[in-house]
Amino acid sequence: MAIRTHNPEEFQQPPQPDKVLRFTLGERVSHWTHALSFFLLLFTGLGILSLSFRPALVVFGGIQVARLIHRIVAVVFVVVVSGMFIFGNTKYHWEWLKSIFHFTKADRQHITAFPKEFFGGHGNYPAQGKFNGGEKINSLITLFGSIFITLSGLVMWFASSFPPVLVRWAYPVHDLSMFMMTASVIGHIYLGILHPDSCAALPGMLNGYVSTKFAKAHHAAWYNQVENPTTHEGENSL
Amino acid sequence: MSKKMVLVDTSKCTGCKACTVACKEWNELPAEKTQLLTSYQTMKEFTPKTWTYTTFTEKYEYPKMNWYIRKAQCFHCAEPACLKSCSSNAISKTDSGYVVIEQELCIGCGYCVDNCPFGVPKLDNSRKKAYKCTGCIDRVENNLTPACVQTCQPGCLEYGERETLLPQAKKRLSEVQKTHPKARIYGETEMGGTTFVYLLLDAPEVYGLPINPTTPLSLTIWKDIVRPVGGIAVGGAAAAVFVGVFGNVLRGAYREQAQEEKDAQKGGKR
Repeated sequence: MAIRTHNPEEFQQPPQPDKVLRFTLGERVSHWTHALSFFLLLFTGLGILSLSFRPALVVFGGIQVARLIHRIVAVVFVVVVSGMFIFGNTKYHWEWLKSIFHFTKADRQHITAFPKEFFGGHGNYPAQGKFNGGEKINSLITLFGSIFITLSGLVMWFASSFPPVLVRWAYPVHDLSMFMMTASVIGHIYLGILHPDSCAALPGMLNGYVSTKFAKAHHAAWYNQVENPTTHEGENSL
Repeated sequence: MSKKMVLVDTSKCTGCKACTVACKEWNELPAEKTQLLTSYQTMKEFTPKTWTYTTFTEKYEYPKMNWYIRKAQCFHCAEPACLKSCSSNAISKTDSGYVVIEQELCIGCGYCVDNCPFGVPKLDNSRKKAYKCTGCIDRVENNLTPACVQTCQPGCLEYGERETLLPQAKKRLSEVQKTHPKARIYGETEMGGTTFVYLLLDAPEVYGLPINPTTPLSLTIWKDIVRPVGGIAVGGAAAAVFVGVFGNVLRGAYREQAQEEKDAQKGGKR
């Protein structure tokens, strides 16, 4: 039951000549499902975590409804995105997974040079792959945060089926995962919407295409590979 | 209000279970279906509707059998793990040493259930509330003794000032130790000193009690480290974004961007 999440011809036929496809429909579906469910989970969960935030849960219909929504959305959060790895668009999901564990020298240089750019300066770093060093860190936090928040959440949900010591440790793990991902997503949203240079990446997550200008400037190693797939075979620039 | 204490002198307990009945009567808790588990014990653990019950342990030490009976209820700790874990400020502690769940504030998250070292609070899943022994705070604040103490026939339970009852318990202990050398006081220092203090005839583990009950390490890490550090991390990220936006405004980057967009629309410099 493969879902048709990308069109093989997408790559050959960009809608405009100065655009290049960065994210297939499947990748975008996963990203936005994750994003939307993450924020629903965050807001319903914050109402339990913080007493000052709790009154805001009236928008969901009270705390007990919010707790129920938290569990329903948690299922979506886990099932849809992990389903995309198995059933839909598997190739690009596994490529992403493989690439974020593969830190090249260029990635490391990006990580040391990027903070300057983050605050409005200009960072000097070599040509980056489809995901740059910073994006890989954000991806790793998201991946491990999602795994740990899911496992701990499962233990908390079905507390009576697990040994008490495991349930007790699930709470700090759940909170820690949330804090890591929230801190990370704040930076992620800033770069995607408010940062004057990085925000050119946003259309890539909306309709899939980024401008070739952006691709050349920010992800040159990947862009060259897409443009000349044969000459760059074997060169791992993911 | 001075610190109160209930002495549970297990050397005097006959296992009549009148305390359980009195508790249910005063607190209007319905009876539950029970079954014989071991010896004379019919309750395995607390339930939202059973806040006190009696444990029976038969220990055969040739040539005799010792029968250890303990009335179990909330200890009312001086340093309650339940209070620390509560998500809703629903658990409070009185100066007299009582630990009480305020039902209007409780949301039934179950954090106290998981973190109590004695397994005392229990969750009512349909009401979405946690319940436990109140120590009959409504009675003691009106100069009555707790319902269980009031009803205890053999005088195993005694209610009073901590400073007079604790020395009395120690005096009794030296008596009891003549026949039960392993007898001890439990609750004088445990969890900061509990309001319900036991005179046990043997080691706590014989009664199924933790030898050294403590606030779970995971709870301390959760509330005292993960929460503040996590808050700082999120605050730090927000501050970094604020500085970043400010930096870009200073650099005039947003104006450049707008200019570029204009140029692009005109079909100019691109």
